[in-house]
Parts: sequence; C-alpha cells; structure tokens
Amino acid sequence: MKAGFLVVTFIAALSGIVSAQAPNARDISGYWELTYMDSQHVPRPQLVPRVTRAVLDAQAQKDFKAVRWCNILGMPAIMASPRPLDIRQSEKMIVIAAEINAATRYIYLNRTTHISKDIFDPTTNGDSIAKWEGDTLVVDTIGFDPNKGVTAIPGGGFRTANTHLVERYRLVNNGSLLSVRFTWTDPGVFRTPHTYEFRYARLPRDYEARLPLNCDPFDETRTAFLTARP
Amino acid sequence: MQVKVVAAALAALMLMLGAHSTLRAQGNAADGARVLEGGWVRLDTSGSGSFGGLTANFARAALTPEGAAKIKPQRDPDDVDPDNRPHKAGEPYIVTQGRCGGFGPGGVEPNSAALFIIPTRDEVLITREGPGARHIFTDGREHPPLSRIPSAGLGHSTAKWENGDLVIDTVGLSEGGVTAGGWRTPETHLTERYHVEDDGTHMRITFTWTDPKIYAKPHSYSFQFERVPADGYAFENWCDSGDPLQRQSVVPPEQLP
Repeated sequence: MKAGFLVVTFIAALSGIVSAQAPNARDISGYWELTYMDSQHVPRPQLVPRVTRAVLDAQAQKDFKAVRWCNILGMPAIMASPRPLDIRQSEKMIVIAAEINAATRYIYLNRTTHISKDIFDPTTNGDSIAKWEGDTLVVDTIGFDPNKGVTAIPGGGFRTANTHLVERYRLVNNGSLLSVRFTWTDPGVFRTPHTYEFRYARLPRDYEARLPLNCDPFDETRTAFLTARP
Repeated sequence: MQVKVVAAALAALMLMLGAHSTLRAQGNAADGARVLEGGWVRLDTSGSGSFGGLTANFARAALTPEGAAKIKPQRDPDDVDPDNRPHKAGEPYIVTQGRCGGFGPGGVEPNSAALFIIPTRDEVLITREGPGARHIFTDGREHPPLSRIPSAGLGHSTAKWENGDLVIDTVGLSEGGVTAGGWRTPETHLTERYHVEDDGTHMRITFTWTDPKIYAKPHSYSFQFERVPADGYAFENWCDSGDPLQRQSVVPPEQLP
C-alpha cells in the first residue's frame, strides 16, 4: 500500500514537472486589449502657462497632419490602440507590436542607461529601458521626437524633446489584467507630473493577430472625410 | 497487490521517459531561443553592393511546366518610373509614390534593415524597425483553412525547434514572385530554418519553397546575418507620404577607382 502511494506521489510529481506552467508575475508576454471603458478615467493635467490654447491648437494641427499622411503614430498613441497589443518578453528585451500604423516598441532589459543623446536620433517611441522592482516592471523612456507621429498625451498636453515617461506595468487579477500606470513629466508642458492608468485584458491563448489596420494617404474618400467640417 | 505496484511502477517509468523527452525538447527550445533572441542584420556576403546583387547568385528555381506558365513580370505597385531614362550621378529623381502605411507579403524575406527575434513560450515574434510583425506560433496549433488567411498579409506561420534551430512553416501567402525565379500561391509552403552558428554571432536563414504544382524540386537559398552588438538598438523607419522627398531617390555619386 505504502509503495503504491509512493508511486502515485512520484507520478503526480512528474506530471507537475511536465505541465508546470504556473503564471509568472514577471512575464507579461501575451496579447493584451485595452479595456476601453475602464481606461477613460484620465485626469486633466496641469499645464504650464506657456502652453496656451494657441500652442495646443498648433500641436493638434501637427498631429492631424501625421494622421492625414499615415505617418507612424508612436507613443503614446500605440498604447491606446483600439486593436490588441502583442507584448513579448525575452531575456534582453520586451517588444510591443501593434495592429495599427505604429512602429514596434523596443524596451531594453539589458541596459541600465539610455543611449547617449549624442548618438540617439529621437523617434516617435523614444529610447526605453526597464527593470523589475518586485513584480512591477518600470519602464523609463526619453528621446521622443517632438515633430513626428501623434504627440498628444491622454488627458491633455503633448510630448516634446524634453519629455520623460515612466510606465509601471503590473499583472493584476491573477494575470488576467495588465495595469500600466503612465507618468509624464516635462517642465515645458506639465506643472506637475501627469499620471493615469490604463488596463489591458489578456486575450485567449488562441488569439491570432490580425493584419494591421491599413492607412492609405492617397485615398481621396478618406482625405475628404478627414478634412470635412462636421 | 504486487501486480498493482508493478503496473504503477511501469506507468511511472513510461511517464518518466515521456517527461525526459519533453524536458529535453523544452531544453532544446530554451537553448535555441536563448541564442536566437535579439537583433540581426543581413550580410552582403558576395560583396555585390546592391539590393539585387545579393540574390543574383542564388540557384534559379527549377519549375514545373505549370509553374513556369504562372510566372508573370512583377513590379512593386509603389514603384514609379516617370521618365524611364538613366540618371546622372547625384541627380535626384522620383522612384516611388511615397505610400506609407501598407503591409504585405514582401515582409517574410529580410531586407537590409535589422530584424529582431523574440522567442517566447507560445510564439516567436519577428519584428523590424517599423510597423507590423510576424507572429510565429510555437504552441502546436495547426494552420487554419487557407480561406481564413487574409490574402494581403504575411500568411500563417507555425514553428518548432529542431536541434536548437527554429523551423517555421508558412502557408497562405498571396500569389506572386519568389526570389531567384520562383513563384508562390497561397498553397505553397515556405519553410525557414533559423540556425545560429557556433560562434553565436552569425545566423543563417535557409528559405525552402515547396509546391508540387510549381517546383520540380524544392527551391532553396540562404541569407547570412550578423548579430546586432549587445549595446545596439532598433532604429525607427520613418515614412511621410506628405513629404515630397519621400518619393525621391538619388543616384549614388561616381565611385573612385
């Protein structure tokens, strides 16, 4: 009897080895979809006096041009994608691929410092490095291009060459949700750090990414729609 | 009682062998993933110095009569050539419509931009320096029926690890030309083998196209890559259809002898 019990225990242990796929709080790989309604709770930022209505309008015009001509959107638009994000984490990096017209985001886990400003050409996504603090992934980004992509930040304001973004990624609800807390600082735009949280729902493992939403800058119907006054 | 114990022991032994095999496969995959992870840049090993030169030396596809009949001249729909005349060194001229925002099957074959490979448990993600990505499923799923694969995309790809190599199988690519005189239809299988050399800094991707209707024998060729240095990073491929310069190219200056 005792021998039989030992054998059964041994089998159970082996089965555990074979099927060991326990959720890992430090692995955010998967397909994630913005919980659109829950993520609308974005406060209005406190803007510095120099960011007047005219400045905001001029920035909005630049953003409109980027949309009109199908420019790559960049941060933070990629994180507000209406389609799921494919987030994949390996030893050296985390990659975020979107199903919209946005360049893939690369977040480096194998670097503790940013690329020198003397070398790095600013981009729509900036230069991102990250580290784990407990079960929270802290992503630090600088190096944004102020003139490329859609620069508008949820709640208000926009990114510039001096903008600094810190994101805190954390799995919640037993790994079914990904919480991302964004904190934007920029002395030329925000009086105080501008913080909000987006939440993303994990999609089933059999989800398959769709083709990115196409954008045709020479589609006259689209252009007429974008430029028409309601 | 004794019989039950022996039977249980045998079952345990079989499970142990199975577990060993599974663990070895997982270890194999983990080792392969570890060396494959990261950025890679295609090498011009023949020293051709041009886009077409690299593939000009590849063995031409051996086509069936049916396959040969399918071949049609191919042209990038974004290409324009308004005056069709040679241009002097340094003379700018219009070469494309400057169309940004499109994605298509050309993406399965690497170009001169870096590609990045991120292997995870269920999927290997292959990205470049702009929008779009290849999602390679390694969770054992099958290809869906061809009718469910979008014709304008990168097909449907599944993969497995073989002795540390990543072996990808793709179907569902749209009909069109293949490097070195080949052709493809959605039914055509593309097998890619990603093999990292022992030095850990070089990689070879071998493309093999098989389709009994098109090829008399599998059509194979390889590209060589060098690993992006540890302190390297992805650039961002910018495209602006509203910028007149986006459409323009410049003939390179004359080279010194």
